[in-house]
Amino acid sequence: MLPIDAAAHGSRWRRRHPVDKAVLGLGLTALAVALPPWPGAPLVLVSALALLLGPAGVPWRRLWRAYRVPWGFCLTGAVTLLFEVGGPDGPVGLAEGGPVRAGELLLRTSAASLGVLLFAFTTPMSDLLPRLVRARVPAPVVDVALVTYRMGFLLLDSLHRIRQAQAARLGHASRAAEWRSLAGLGATAFVRAFARASRLQDGLAGRGYDGTLRVLVPEARVSVPFTVASVALLVVVAALTGVLVEVGA
Amino acid sequence: MVPVSQETGQGVSTIHEVLERVCPAMHIAEGFLPPAHAVAWGVASAPFVVHGVRSLTREVREHPESTLLLGASGAFTFVLSALKLPSVTGSCSHPTGTGLGAILFRPPVMAVLGTITLLFQALLLAHGGLTTLGANVFSMAVVGPWAGYAAYRLSRRSGLPLMAAVFAGAFVADLSTYCVTSVQLALAFPDPSGGFLGALGKFGTIFAVTQIPLAVSEGLLTVLVMRLLTQSSGGELARLGVLVAGKSSRAVAR
Repeated sequence: MLPIDAAAHGSRWRRRHPVDKAVLGLGLTALAVALPPWPGAPLVLVSALALLLGPAGVPWRRLWRAYRVPWGFCLTGAVTLLFEVGGPDGPVGLAEGGPVRAGELLLRTSAASLGVLLFAFTTPMSDLLPRLVRARVPAPVVDVALVTYRMGFLLLDSLHRIRQAQAARLGHASRAAEWRSLAGLGATAFVRAFARASRLQDGLAGRGYDGTLRVLVPEARVSVPFTVASVALLVVVAALTGVLVEVGA
Repeated sequence: MVPVSQETGQGVSTIHEVLERVCPAMHIAEGFLPPAHAVAWGVASAPFVVHGVRSLTREVREHPESTLLLGASGAFTFVLSALKLPSVTGSCSHPTGTGLGAILFRPPVMAVLGTITLLFQALLLAHGGLTTLGANVFSMAVVGPWAGYAAYRLSRRSGLPLMAAVFAGAFVADLSTYCVTSVQLALAFPDPSGGFLGALGKFGTIFAVTQIPLAVSEGLLTVLVMRLLTQSSGGELARLGVLVAGKSSRAVAR
């Protein structure tokens, strides 16, 4: 299981309805994108971080491990805004206002990523996917996503073992061997995926498969107090940003 | 720019490490695009995804067993990006898989499978994002597969051997994805003096240096994978329409 999904299964908010957590986490992400980066993004960032490490109970090491990947890419992505092509200083020069734009972008992406992580770290995919049918996502698409999700872990596990076996047989000893091993890995993933689907089909056919995958979903109700509190927090963050912008202006 | 994963490590010891190295090469990160751009790219992607969803729904209603095969295809697409790809420059990155996916499963289905994969990557790996899902879908699940598939099909129609066509498909799919990402970023972040074209030149140059070698690498890898598949999985390839049934050595352009 992937680290974020594993953490979501053990989260304190595991039993909460996904809508509760979507309003809060994705609402913060929406604010991070929609509000002025300064001071909106820092407010969203602090709120999301406090919720993640506080009520949601996500260990900070686990959070950092997941967060450092998008954050690192946001950082290097923002660096390119410092430069421009074809300016008055030559073919490549420092962009006017580049540091401000880069800083704003970094703030916005950092805050937005934390909002999504708040949702992801508290909501297992197995809780979310079956409920997408109620959001009018066609049932066949949800079924395909469910099979993809469950089979993906098995295939990744297979790839890991095959790669270990290849390494033990000096499959990565030279560049040519590396290419051969990689091609074998890709082809084996395809073969195993289809073989597994075929076996799954046989097993389901024996159980009267009619084209619908029925899975148990833990019961949960949308919590009105939680949702109201979430909306209140979002309103406070938005209002505070507006006030600070006015004061700054 | 959208950062490019460049790795030089050799061993991968755990699944987690494999997944931490899944390529975010062309994923535009969460919150990277201004709201108007995020919405616009979502709107641009929607018709292709809806078309794919209709194709997929029709296929599943007519053949219920297809759910499992399509799920397997989605899982294959998902793990394909976990493979480490040695670049011809000596560094290492990950394949996009859009070309191979389009050749095997066709672009409409890839629009759906790609969207599902990008959603999983955003939520399970923190790669890409939900606000940038539309932009990422447009480049990686729409333009990449369609351009790659067009190159593959044109190559086959012009009489090129299967493997040359597969290389062309994978190469074009990879490169076109990067080109679209460059355009998306240049539109969102035009240069103060050079404007859109200045920014496009900047992003395009950065991508060209890193991604043309990677596109060549992905083309080579896709050819190797397809060669193995024609030897080991002729039946499945025939079912997918890549090979003529019963003649594993002959291939057709669909």
